[in-house]
Amino acid sequence: MMSRRKFLLLTGAAAAGAFLTPQISAKTQFIESPEEVEAKRRWAMAVDVEKCTECMRELIAKTGNPEVKPPCVVACDKENNVPEFEDKRIDPQWMRIAKLELDKPEVNPKEFYIPLLCNHCENPPCVQVCLTKASFKRPDGIVEIDMHRCIGCRYCMIACPYGARSFNFRNPREGLKEVNPNVQMRTEGVVEKCTFCVHRIDEAVAKGEEPIPACVEACHKYGKGALVFGNIKDPNSEISKILRENIVVQLRANLGTDPHVFYTKLGGE
Amino acid sequence: MAVEFKKIEGDSVQYFALVIVLAVVTALGFYAYVLDHQLGGLNGLSNRVPWGIVNAGIPYFIGLSAGSLIVSALAGVFNIKKYKVFSRIAAYMAAAWIIAAILSIALDIGKFYHFMNAVRYFNPTSIFSWNAFLYSSYFVICSVYLLVQFEEMERATRFMAGLAVFWAVLVHSGTGAIYSFVYSRELYHSALTPPMFIVCAITSGLGLLLANLYFTFRFTKRELDPKLIRGLALIFAGLMMVLGYFLAVEGLEKGYIPALHEAVQFVFLTPTSGVFWSFWLLVIFGIAIPVIIVLNPKTGYDLRWISLAGIMHAALVFAERFYLIVPGQVFPEEYLPGYKIESLHTLEGYIVTYTPTIIEWLQIIGLIAMVYLVYVIGVKVFALIPERAVEEVVEE
Ligand code: SF4
Ligand code: SF4
Ligand code: SF4
Repeated sequence: MMSRRKFLLLTGAAAAGAFLTPQISAKTQFIESPEEVEAKRRWAMAVDVEKCTECMRELIAKTGNPEVKPPCVVACDKENNVPEFEDKRIDPQWMRIAKLELDKPEVNPKEFYIPLLCNHCENPPCVQVCLTKASFKRPDGIVEIDMHRCIGCRYCMIACPYGARSFNFRNPREGLKEVNPNVQMRTEGVVEKCTFCVHRIDEAVAKGEEPIPACVEACHKYGKGALVFGNIKDPNSEISKILRENIVVQLRANLGTDPHVFYTKLGGE
Repeated sequence: MAVEFKKIEGDSVQYFALVIVLAVVTALGFYAYVLDHQLGGLNGLSNRVPWGIVNAGIPYFIGLSAGSLIVSALAGVFNIKKYKVFSRIAAYMAAAWIIAAILSIALDIGKFYHFMNAVRYFNPTSIFSWNAFLYSSYFVICSVYLLVQFEEMERATRFMAGLAVFWAVLVHSGTGAIYSFVYSRELYHSALTPPMFIVCAITSGLGLLLANLYFTFRFTKRELDPKLIRGLALIFAGLMMVLGYFLAVEGLEKGYIPALHEAVQFVFLTPTSGVFWSFWLLVIFGIAIPVIIVLNPKTGYDLRWISLAGIMHAALVFAERFYLIVPGQVFPEEYLPGYKIESLHTLEGYIVTYTPTIIEWLQIIGLIAMVYLVYVIGVKVFALIPERAVEEVVEE
């Protein structure tokens, strides 16, 4: 029957067309086994909200710019090749500062500032939904995106409860004055976000040193020391102590994502 | 054989004009995609609203496909002889719409070059990942189903019809779940979405099929019995009411939650946002008026009116997809419950509007034109439509 032959041909061609686009993908390799890493290290960050609020108030007063970028954000942008585009709708931003105020300002009108970044969730919704496993969680808790695998579907952006992800609507290079060669350059059409400065972490761990992300370093150098980064599997680390000794808050903890950026001193205690 | 299927002649000037118009619109759609991706900045998307109407095209086209197939296979599964006349065309359309859906994914993603990764890698916790498998297998099932019909293999047809209905329900529930299982956004989360998707699929698929049949039979001057259409139109109207019911329950439930009052107010009662219009246009022109057209005895027997109702509903189901996908992104979430948040360096915490641009519309319209191009060519190449479609089918 004529119709059948044509039909088979058409279907066959469609199927063949669908399976013919080869490409490469990157792999992450560890020297230790995943179990060893998981038992030894879990990276997290603690934020002193009181210090950030003070820092932002000073900076805004000094510059008169309500959208001023504090040293932590500037350092992150520079370190990680986060581009700068005029149009805020499409400008990628890994770290950003948010102003918070109680929904009932008549009760308490106090405003405070907190830095926002990827929370490197223990149960990351972004990883849960990613259809290619381009978003993945390492045994040490860092959530990363393999830009060679990401198809740019943006499902993860919808799923992330913290707005931590940005899509590259444009080629990031167009928004960069200089490029830091130590950090992988992303391309247009994929999603990117904070990595906890994973390149610094891997380098430090290999050398047996304490890792320090760019924002933490910048804040420290600026004299504030509001950010503390470290391994919470080590009970003697500075971060472990801070988390033990303070009332800590995780954002949207009710979702069960278990974020690993902890906020302290929200009430200035 | 009781029902005789026959190819159309397709040598009139009008036929070729139609083919050319559809081909041009299809090409325009793909050109819009190329512009969108090469120049950038031509769509209305942002980091706050990263899913727009090209993404909405995915569930929309899958809905039309699943709907068409469910209707077609009805005849096969329940062995309703009189609806057999539509089974080929509906199955053919189902296959065409699923191609549009897959292309919609291809046009929507940022890295077309990585497209096959969606099939190559599987993430068992990702609903979209399951769907990548479901969509491709669904296309194969549609094709085999059509093939056994061409070959007039009775038992295989019945079996494939059953499988096809099952798969269509699976595929479309899965598609609903892509959106409704997103728990990070209050306005997305609803267990009603997958069942609503199924109802909506059947209504939109049926609506379009009715219009399709009317125009095809008219232009080919074949006989179409209004009584046959009437039966389908009643199912169509009944299910539209079910859809309205689902929407009402869902909206009322959200409205009952104090935490969502502001968001609900924004979605349903703020006429300055596109979200408001997508909902109310759907309710009025997509459900209420089509239902009235079908139920009113003056218009409900007239094929032209029924076609109009079908087209209105099918078109406005696109608004339903907009209403499903966009509000949850536009309306900001509180990261620290109880605290208003405003980001200094991004638009987090603000209502970020999304208005689809002409470039985005062209991509959707282009895909629709492509489906109809595939259809008009199909009726010429394959024996899809019956010689005549009347209520009483003569038994052998
Ligand atoms: S992290 Fe440090 S530099 Fe950044 S806002 Fe807080 S105090 Fe300022
Ligand atoms: S904050 Fe968002 S992007 Fe980061 S791990 Fe959690 S869900 Fe993923
Ligand atoms: S955009 Fe990339 S990282 Fe995000 S879900 Fe899609 S494939 Fe995964």
